[in-house]
Amino acid sequence: MENDLNLNHHISKRFNEELEEARSQVLKMGGLVEQQVREGLKALLDADTELAKKVVQDDVRVNAMEVNIDETCTQILARRQPAASDLRLMISIIKTITDLERIGDEAAKLGKNALKLTDDGKSARQLVELRHLGDHVSETLNRALTAYARLDVSTAIEIIENDQVIDEEFDNISRLLITKMMEDPREIKNALRISWCARALERIGDHTKNICEYIVYLVKGKDVRHTSFEEIKRQLED
Amino acid sequence: MIDLSSSESLVSDEIKIKETVGDIFADDAKMSMRNVNVFYDEKQAIKNVSLDLARNQVTALIGPSGCGKSTFLRCLNRMNDTIPICRVEGELKLEGDNIYAKNLDPVLLRARVGMVFQKPNPFPKSIYDNVAYGPKIHGLATNKAELDEIVVSSLQKAGLFNEVKDRLEAPGTGLSGGQQQRLCIARTIAVSPEVILMDEPASALDPIATAVIEELIDELKEKYTIAIVTHSMQQAARVSQTTAYFHMGQLVEMGKTDQIFTNPTHELTENYITGRFG
Repeated sequence: MENDLNLNHHISKRFNEELEEARSQVLKMGGLVEQQVREGLKALLDADTELAKKVVQDDVRVNAMEVNIDETCTQILARRQPAASDLRLMISIIKTITDLERIGDEAAKLGKNALKLTDDGKSARQLVELRHLGDHVSETLNRALTAYARLDVSTAIEIIENDQVIDEEFDNISRLLITKMMEDPREIKNALRISWCARALERIGDHTKNICEYIVYLVKGKDVRHTSFEEIKRQLED
Repeated sequence: MIDLSSSESLVSDEIKIKETVGDIFADDAKMSMRNVNVFYDEKQAIKNVSLDLARNQVTALIGPSGCGKSTFLRCLNRMNDTIPICRVEGELKLEGDNIYAKNLDPVLLRARVGMVFQKPNPFPKSIYDNVAYGPKIHGLATNKAELDEIVVSSLQKAGLFNEVKDRLEAPGTGLSGGQQQRLCIARTIAVSPEVILMDEPASALDPIATAVIEELIDELKEKYTIAIVTHSMQQAARVSQTTAYFHMGQLVEMGKTDQIFTNPTHELTENYITGRFG
């Protein structure tokens, strides 16, 4: 069943279409959220106020998509009472879009902080570690969404394992910023803003990991949330 | 009683099911069936099915029309004995006793293993007599007071007493469909069965009457072991603890209902419960 949900195999063609529609809406939302993160990061690192404003404004589009997809899923649940893989698809969609919406919020935070930094004539450009964390998080999100589209459990598991590295990168940046603040207390305000951005990126990593857990649930029917990586591997080998 | 035309399809296409997936064994089995084969003349309707009915649990038998689930259910209280061309092979035990033993009286077996049918079929008698009939013929009451008590308690257990207490002498056939079905359940309970078999008990009822019957099934399992054949997937998911999926006379998969409806193992089960064609 892996790599194929057989969504077009229902006796009811209309049901096929409804499930396909819900799934494609999620992929579309994923695409928009990914773009928001990329642009939020670019606005922050390039001190691009126009782009930062756009990212902040576009968050409403992400929110609207979440509401629409929720409505689509509610209708499917009410009309079709899906079971087995169809049920898991519905649950995974409903949960995934919550995380996507949160990622959208974090991207908007990048935009907001970019605007505040540039207002004060500052930028995060010089912080190579932040750029590195941002690129890493963006790329991970991209891989997770591709894994979602392809129902690729092995990539999803790699990403779940990799989240630890993102956490470590965030800790490094925190340490760097604390040192900066201690060296020059006048920098505290801006250092805190950059710290919030790093925190936002780290949270995006966490939400991405959640999405990967839903991929495992969707394809394998195993709930691997709040489970150690070793335990996940053991469960999937069963 | 049985639509023999549908048995044609049972053997028309051999599917490759090497063995049942999941768990056919119950820790505490009320009934145990092993290697059951059922034939209508030369046609095989049930192929080597083994499963347990767990005590005080509801086991749902699901599957497409003609898959043999009702045939299998009817084996459990020898209802198939009434069909001359039907032959049952294998081991079928109730509390360890062979229910097809030569010296066993099927009438007594059917008092221990009661049955509720798809269409409510009250006798053309009063509500009281419908329930009292079984206890009378089985000699379960020595006097009228005892019989009254059985009738009242059976109607109470079937959740019907309050609705009919003022008209026990009215004909059973005058009740609504849902009430008639509960009357049939009361009639089954009246002879103190150990197992209740239900063949599509709610398929002729509206959603409200169905909900009442489902609520009743949930309560009845405290005292009885129940096997239910249903075409409604949602009903199987709601009322049962264990689900068995039949396909063309074979038991494809059996397991905990929670698992079967969220993450079935066999592709045929998945296709059936999600409404896919194979």
